[in-house]
Amino acid sequence: MKRKNWAPGGGKKELRGKDEWVRISWDEALTLVANEIIRIQAKYGNKSIFVSGGSEIGRALTLFGGYVPSYGTTSGGSIHATKTTILGYTGYVNAMMSDRMDHRKTTLFVHWGLNSISSSGGNPTYNHLQNKKNGAKIIAIDPYYTDAAQVLADEWIPIRPNTDHAMVLGMAYTLITADDPKPNPLIDWDFLNRCTLGFDKDHMPTGADPKENFKDYVLGTYDGTPKTPEWASAICGIDAARIRSLALEIAKTKNVGLGMSSATARQQNSDSWTQMFYTFGAMSGHIGKPGSFTADGYYHQNFSGLRCLVDIVQPGSSGLPSVGANPVEEKAADVWTALPQVPGTRLCESWMWKAIADGKYQAVKGQWRDLNIQMIYHGGGAKLQTVDGMSDGIAAHRKVEFVVSQSQILTTNSKYADIVLPVTTPWERDGGMVIAGNREFGLIWGQQVTKPLFEAKDDLWIAAEIGKRLGVDATKIAPLSNAQLVYNQIVGSKVLKDDGKTTEPLVTISDNDVKSLAEAGVVVKPQAGRVALAKFQELGFYQVPRKPGDNFEVVALKAFREDPVKNPLPNKSGKLDIHSKTLADIIESRGWSTIKPIPAYNPAQEGYEATFKDFKAKVKGEYPLQLYTIHYYRRSHSVFDNILTLRRAFPHEFFMNPIDAQARGIQHGDIVLIRSRHGKTIRPVSLTERILPGVVTLPHGAWVEMDEASGIDKAGADNIINGTVPTGQGTSGWNTCNVQVEKYTGSIELKPDYQWPQRIPIKEA
Amino acid sequence: MAKQLGFHINSSVCANCKACQVACQDKNNLPAAIRWRRVVLYGGGGWVEKDGRWMPNGVFSYSVSFACMHCENPLCVQACPTGALMKRADGVVLINQDQCVGCRYCEWACPYGAPQFNEAKGVMTKCNFCEDLLAQGQNPACVDACPMRAIEYGDIAELRAKYGTLAEVEPLPSASITLPHAVVTPHRNAQASGTGTGKIMNLPEEL
Repeated sequence: MKRKNWAPGGGKKELRGKDEWVRISWDEALTLVANEIIRIQAKYGNKSIFVSGGSEIGRALTLFGGYVPSYGTTSGGSIHATKTTILGYTGYVNAMMSDRMDHRKTTLFVHWGLNSISSSGGNPTYNHLQNKKNGAKIIAIDPYYTDAAQVLADEWIPIRPNTDHAMVLGMAYTLITADDPKPNPLIDWDFLNRCTLGFDKDHMPTGADPKENFKDYVLGTYDGTPKTPEWASAICGIDAARIRSLALEIAKTKNVGLGMSSATARQQNSDSWTQMFYTFGAMSGHIGKPGSFTADGYYHQNFSGLRCLVDIVQPGSSGLPSVGANPVEEKAADVWTALPQVPGTRLCESWMWKAIADGKYQAVKGQWRDLNIQMIYHGGGAKLQTVDGMSDGIAAHRKVEFVVSQSQILTTNSKYADIVLPVTTPWERDGGMVIAGNREFGLIWGQQVTKPLFEAKDDLWIAAEIGKRLGVDATKIAPLSNAQLVYNQIVGSKVLKDDGKTTEPLVTISDNDVKSLAEAGVVVKPQAGRVALAKFQELGFYQVPRKPGDNFEVVALKAFREDPVKNPLPNKSGKLDIHSKTLADIIESRGWSTIKPIPAYNPAQEGYEATFKDFKAKVKGEYPLQLYTIHYYRRSHSVFDNILTLRRAFPHEFFMNPIDAQARGIQHGDIVLIRSRHGKTIRPVSLTERILPGVVTLPHGAWVEMDEASGIDKAGADNIINGTVPTGQGTSGWNTCNVQVEKYTGSIELKPDYQWPQRIPIKEA
Repeated sequence: MAKQLGFHINSSVCANCKACQVACQDKNNLPAAIRWRRVVLYGGGGWVEKDGRWMPNGVFSYSVSFACMHCENPLCVQACPTGALMKRADGVVLINQDQCVGCRYCEWACPYGAPQFNEAKGVMTKCNFCEDLLAQGQNPACVDACPMRAIEYGDIAELRAKYGTLAEVEPLPSASITLPHAVVTPHRNAQASGTGTGKIMNLPEEL
């Protein structure tokens, strides 16, 4: 469909997001899109075309001379560059967490920011419940008494957002000052000395200034500020006595699981936090031992069994050949190659809307280059809704000459587009492999349950059709059928044998299978495997049964602890870098902020300290509350927000402590106006003792609904409140924001969300 | 004694996700406004200030999933002037919508708010224990949807033998009113019905 007031060149661009829709044919839509791509490329060049997501359209545009992509820290936050550098494992690869069977030996779990039940789908919380039934104690450190804490926590330690680092520094100080080898050994010196670099002046990396060691930073030897529990308490808000006793409890307990969720890294200036967390895990002796682990990234896969270190079920490749490099993208310099996201011609996501709106971007530090984006192509995803700084995003969308979006529903990407191309869901296609779940439940064969609804088409088909109209070789875009891509993955899947070492193919392909698939145009070879193809198809998934003591148990980093020379970490030094000049250089080169090579505390731009006009005198400023954005049952990020039963179940309320409400004359259920430096939104407020006073939370992902006259978003979209504030590695700091809240007295009438009309652009007659 | 079906609700592990509520609506094709099963959040406690820092003082919360309790003493059946409501041999309380005139007396009579009015159809509706699924040997939709395995169903005598006889915690009404066929495993911070120090934490529009 196309926007009513759109015309080639943009038409009435200011109507994007509020125009009416006109249904058009596929041929017309594809031709209009291709003609605009050709026109814009001829007039402004390939660097004027921005693609926000979806790999398929990128294939067509790469063959047509390239496009500008983006890079961002998304779910993993600042874990990405930090972990890759100091440990050698990329953000989502949780090689740090031991197998779930090993968790049964753990007697104490300490969680920084873990709300597994609402942010790690599936059964991680159920798995934790088994640990609890086994007698383990679970401590939750979080600004909010979460739903997971309600079920699991033996103790809740409320903490101000963005201050975990300060807390753990206070804990490190406790161990360093109380440690005594004979009567009171608290520090795992053996591990620190053999497996890490930079803890003290005698174990520094080559060339580093010995004065720059971590221990002396904690003690304040050179900066005059000992990082005592009292120092930490003034920042994080936790009683100094509890900071001290928790440090001792962790150091004196043999089997401890230390976990940080990536929520604690989706924060401004948090680049050193992951390093701080692993440093504390190392010094307290909880890395690489049975029953003990130190691990970030509590994703759905990880907590019900480490997924990435040794998958018991290993999916095959789809075999879709690459179309080659994007010609617009510059070659990465060496310093970036180890990282999952590479700038250069890429736009930093927490700056990209501003870059498009203002026509400038920072490639690397100090290199501000002109940028003239005239086309935004949303090949998938929900970036306009889910990236911080949505007000800048809307401005960017109303500036360019052309916006296209592919989606199944009227996402915010599509709402602000000129032409929307309807795409199929996995259930309307020939099927697909869902590679999710945990390591023993690697594959789900999603199978077609309906022919495409209405006129929806597959992404790859759309890319090929646009490619044809652009005059590129469309056979390169979609060289294999969807069915062939799916069967390639199935046939190539492997499963570990009971010995835990060798693999065999997951499915058996018989001669009959080969014949019948050939009739459907799919080419496979016969092979012997664990289950018959028909059986796998009937089940739809494959799961390996587990029992304690089987050969699939893995203790993360055990081999590294035993012999770091023979089994080094896959980073540059081979050891855990408590001092990393490389990391400091990476952060420096991105040009947003700087850090020290050791994990020094780095207050967030819009963190606790920034709620004050005068921090020392404790005089609050214009935005005195800290806001962060919890994950919410109503949605998975922004997905499913159109569903009325979910809107009925979860009203997308704003959470505030009654103490903060009382000071503002606010009652439970009132409509409140939430203001930040970046935008305004209104929501019904839920007053709850479950949140630390001074902290408020607006759940993540609600679909924006701007009241254009007042500039107020009615839906409570987190990214209207969160601004364009890149720090460090270009981190999107969704959990860092200062706000003020008042009772809303304006003229907008706010009905409960479930009574709102759904976003349905064109009703069938 | 004839078999009587009932639910076991394990509030001690309920994580407030409302998968049961939404799965029920989905399976029974209910409009957003009608929820045969609901989850209520109850909590309280306070905070004390010390040196500019706030310390929690007995902050707690827990969730309770509830639906029609298929009671021993179903006030809804007694209140129905047309005989549309009945208690079946297996103890399940059902409504015959052909006989219902939509007077809503049952809604007022039930302390759990189990019978709910369908405005579009002008009749009452309520939990039917997924009788169609039971007939096929399957579990009610709410039971299978729970990621914490917190809902179980079966003969109430067996459930009581396994989990005890508690059928009331805040904010549910006293069990003495209707003699509900439910067993609750209370949360570690649960408070007895009628003695609570907390409050319902949901927004009114949520319930």
